[in-house]
Amino acid sequence: MTRGVEQPTDEELVAAVLAGDRERFGDLVERYQARLVNYLFRLLRNPDDAHDLAQEVLVKVYQALDRFDPQFRFSTWLFRIAQNSAIDQIRRRRFRLVSLSAEGGEREGEGHDWDLPAPERGPYGELRNRERGDAIQEAIDSLPWEYRELILLRHMGELPYEEIARMKGMPLGTVKNKLFRGRQMLKEKLEDFLSD
Amino acid sequence: MESPEHTPYREWLDLAADGGLEPERQAPLERHLAACPECRAELAALQSLDSLLMRSRLPVQPDLRSRVMQALPVAGWEARHPRTWSFPVALMVLLAGAATALLGTGAAPLDPAAHSGWGALFAVAGMFKATLLAGGGLLAASWRGVGMVVEGSLTPAVMGGFALFVVFLNLLLVSLLRRRRELPADPLEMRRE
Repeated sequence: MTRGVEQPTDEELVAAVLAGDRERFGDLVERYQARLVNYLFRLLRNPDDAHDLAQEVLVKVYQALDRFDPQFRFSTWLFRIAQNSAIDQIRRRRFRLVSLSAEGGEREGEGHDWDLPAPERGPYGELRNRERGDAIQEAIDSLPWEYRELILLRHMGELPYEEIARMKGMPLGTVKNKLFRGRQMLKEKLEDFLSD
Repeated sequence: MESPEHTPYREWLDLAADGGLEPERQAPLERHLAACPECRAELAALQSLDSLLMRSRLPVQPDLRSRVMQALPVAGWEARHPRTWSFPVALMVLLAGAATALLGTGAAPLDPAAHSGWGALFAVAGMFKATLLAGGGLLAASWRGVGMVVEGSLTPAVMGGFALFVVFLNLLLVSLLRRRRELPADPLEMRRE
């Protein structure tokens, strides 16, 4: 019987980086980049901004790595920094958006061409994919923030319920309840796409 | 209206679709599902939603890892790291040794008792003492000068104005900190304005 190679835990990788093995940070990046980019993408609604901010967040995390408290999960810490950075970025954008709207320009993050995976080929398939992508974003955006932030942490950040509860300082039951309500709302809004 | 027998299972279905249902609830849920087409349809819809969200994921740019690794600056904690410290410490010890040897050689003809390394150490100590005395003297002189200027212009009106200025600065700082902490209920709401 063959045993798979056991992957080091996040905490072990952090310890290795702090001990001087800088390259191990690349393993942490590899482990979290997809979740982080998608989480930020749904908040910022722009793929390039999501990648740029993911890079910024990861650099910030590296610089503060010695302040990481191993009694918490690395992912909780990472997504807390990511959420704060995204909110800061959106605040900074506010002024730019106001000036663009006043000039009648296109709002940032809209009208973009998302390079989402396309399971359906052909002109109809592409149209359907685009519609689906827009509908998902609209459905997520329409959720009240208290549900949206949890839905994104769970479905894009892939954080376990317990970690979300810890990160948001909520009882586990409240997290489950809010996710339940959020998913019910999403289900109603995306009804037309559920049979795809 | 939803029939009462479905109620306890609705939240379980949601957790089951998301992989978060406690194992002890799995069997009762499966028994209920076997007899309830409505809940089976609900579970299928929730699983479709999960799959839809998974399929909507953005592919990550392949160079992100290398971009991050290239952008990593030397972190503050790296400067405190023993391995990073070892080279500067070794260099300092080497330089101190070289200085001691040089001063020892230079001090030897002046002091017959300085044939050993002790003479060099005394010479280094003397140099530090002289530096400290000179620095202390300069500092005292400059503070005395500042004191004389302040003493000349110190009136109750100036003192009162300065106190008001300090209070104003503190209030400004507190208000800025409070404004930063107050997050809107929905930080993204501003995007729809």
